[in-house]
This record gives sequence, C-alpha cells and structure tokens, in this order.
Amino acid sequence: MTFSTLNECRQSITEDDIYEAMKKIPGYLDITPSDCMQLYQVAFDHAVSKLKNAIKADQIMTRNVVTVNENDSLVDVAKKMADHEISGLPVLKDDGTVAGVISEKDFLKRMNDDKKPSFMRVVLQCLETTGCIAADFNNLAASDIMSSPSIITSPEIPVLEVANIMDKKNINRVPVVDDQMMLVGIIARSDVVQTLC
Amino acid sequence: MSFFTKMKGGKKGPSMVNFSEIAWSWIGAFLGITPVAFLNTTLFHGDDLVFIIGSFGASAVLIYGAVKSPLAQPRNLVGGHLLSAFIGVVSFKLFYPFPWFAASFSVATAIAVMHATQTLHPPGGATALIAVIGSEKIHTLGFWYVLIPVGVGVVIMLIIALIVNNLAKNRRYPEYWY
Repeated sequence: MTFSTLNECRQSITEDDIYEAMKKIPGYLDITPSDCMQLYQVAFDHAVSKLKNAIKADQIMTRNVVTVNENDSLVDVAKKMADHEISGLPVLKDDGTVAGVISEKDFLKRMNDDKKPSFMRVVLQCLETTGCIAADFNNLAASDIMSSPSIITSPEIPVLEVANIMDKKNINRVPVVDDQMMLVGIIARSDVVQTLC
Repeated sequence: MSFFTKMKGGKKGPSMVNFSEIAWSWIGAFLGITPVAFLNTTLFHGDDLVFIIGSFGASAVLIYGAVKSPLAQPRNLVGGHLLSAFIGVVSFKLFYPFPWFAASFSVATAIAVMHATQTLHPPGGATALIAVIGSEKIHTLGFWYVLIPVGVGVVIMLIIALIVNNLAKNRRYPEYWY
C-alpha cells in the first residue's frame, strides 16, 4: 500500500457519493455536500498522515538479525540461509557496518544471464542445457554477488515510508542502521504487511 | 476564485428529508410554540407582560426542524437568546435617540458576541433587534426583557424539544449540552 493508492481512494469519492450518504442519514443535516466532502478529505489526509507517522521502523523490525561477513564463502551463506529458513540477509563488513544485502534473487542472478532472474529461468536453463550451473559458487564470497550499496533505513523512519522504499526499489528487506551505520535490525516485507493490516 | 465566479454558486444542495422528519418537525414546533403562545394570549392576557416574540418562531425551525445542527443545541439556544437579549436592551438604552443605529448595532454586536462565546443561534439576532424596534411594551420592560419573555420562553421551548425530539425513533437531542 503506497501513498499514491491511498490518495486514489480519497479522490474516488465524489460529491454524489456524499449526497447519497447524506440521504441515508436520517434527519436534516445542516451542511452542504461540498462542505461535507471537504471535511471528509481533510479528515482523510489527517488520518493518513497519522498512520504514516504512527509506527516507526524500530517498532516492527527484527532485532536478532542473521548476518554474514562479506568475506564468507557463498557456501556458508547458502547454508546459513537454508538453516534459518530465510530468503535474504544483510552482509556486514569487518567493522560491523552494512556492506550490502544478499538474497535468493542474487543467487539466481548469478545462475543465469537473463535480465530477469527467477527460479523458473534456472530450471529452464538446467533442462535445456547440459548440467546445472552452481559450480563456480565454491570460489566466491558474499561480497561478489550481494546487492550493494545496500538500501538502508534508520530506526525512526515511519513504516509506511519503508514500505514505499520496498515498493519503489522492488526489494524485500531493508536493514535498519543507527547513526554509526551499525546494523540494529531488519524489516522484511512481511513485517510491513503485518503492521498495516 | 474571482469575485463574480463566487456568485455563480453551482454546488449541490442537500437532499430532501423524509416524511417522518417533516411530521416530527411539525409536531415539535406545534407543541413548543403552544405553551408560550398560551401564556401570552390567555393566561396573562390584559397584563403588560409579553411572553412571545417573533424570534421564537425562528428558534423553532432549528430546535424542531434541524435538531442535529450545532446552531440548535442548548448552549446556542439559551446562550444565544440571553446574550442577544441583553445586548439588544443595552443598545436601545444607549442609542435610542438614533433608532437606525441602535438597530444595526444591536444585531451586529449580537452576532459577534455569539460567535465569540460559541453560542451562535440565528434567532438571537432577531431577539436583539426586537429589543430595539419592538413595541412600547417591550421597551418599558427594560432588562426584564432578558428574563421575560426571552428566558422563560426559551426554557419552555427547550423542555419541549428534549421531550419531543427524543420520542422520535430517528432523533436524539441534544448532541451536546454546552
């Protein structure tokens, strides 16, 4: 849910809708439909801005984040993701700052040359060509395939803004960092969905 | 928006109320004005007392016909009438040699004071004006005008509004007291 869709909701209400609504409320309403609509719109904007600022990133982020070091081998990274049943994690530098994010998508990207990597593309590639392609993973480190620079956010950023970032950048998780750029948590798409519903 | 464009209006008006609303408005107004008019013409007939003034008719429109309106709430009904009545009497006493001035001053000041005290009640403007342009009978009342007819009449009409409006299934009154 982005702000633009919220605004479309608001603008799809017409004066006729208000008029019909006013007819349903018994008794004489001492207000014109256009005043009523203006009232509705201002109230709607107020509610949206309240929602927009009500919940901050640090209230919904996961604090115990599974991470890897940028020098970890991809085998270790894959193992960690499999063990924890997660589809992505932040990659840290030696000093603990965020270097990037690595996800299933980054693995898939490496496994085929297509511009739009997906699991099915990899399957196709396996079926159509000889052998499957994970061979060179052995010699690579996390930093070789991670997405960087990482898109990060800070604890006091409102959740809806984080949701907008995810939507715009088409990513599924955003690391949360403090002033010193140290990782303090991570927000996944599912965290945002749970918050908004 | 330009000066003349504003005059064109062009927006939609509110819808018509249903039959029960019309019926309850009629019943409320009839029962509300009856005791006040009865006091005026029958009980105290022949005395120098006045119990009914024109602005009560306007109040009836609001408290029996538009019960949800902020203008019709008890704070506005009572506050608006009493303050305006007082302002009307003061205006007459101060400016009676200039009737036109006393008249306009009373109404304008009544509106301003009602706004400032959050008691805006349109009939209040009439109550203030009547204190100035009313009969000799009204003028001789002096500050009693605030109490009789205005105070007594308003309280009677308020009591009837509380009873009648809450008998109707789709009505409740007041929205708030003050």
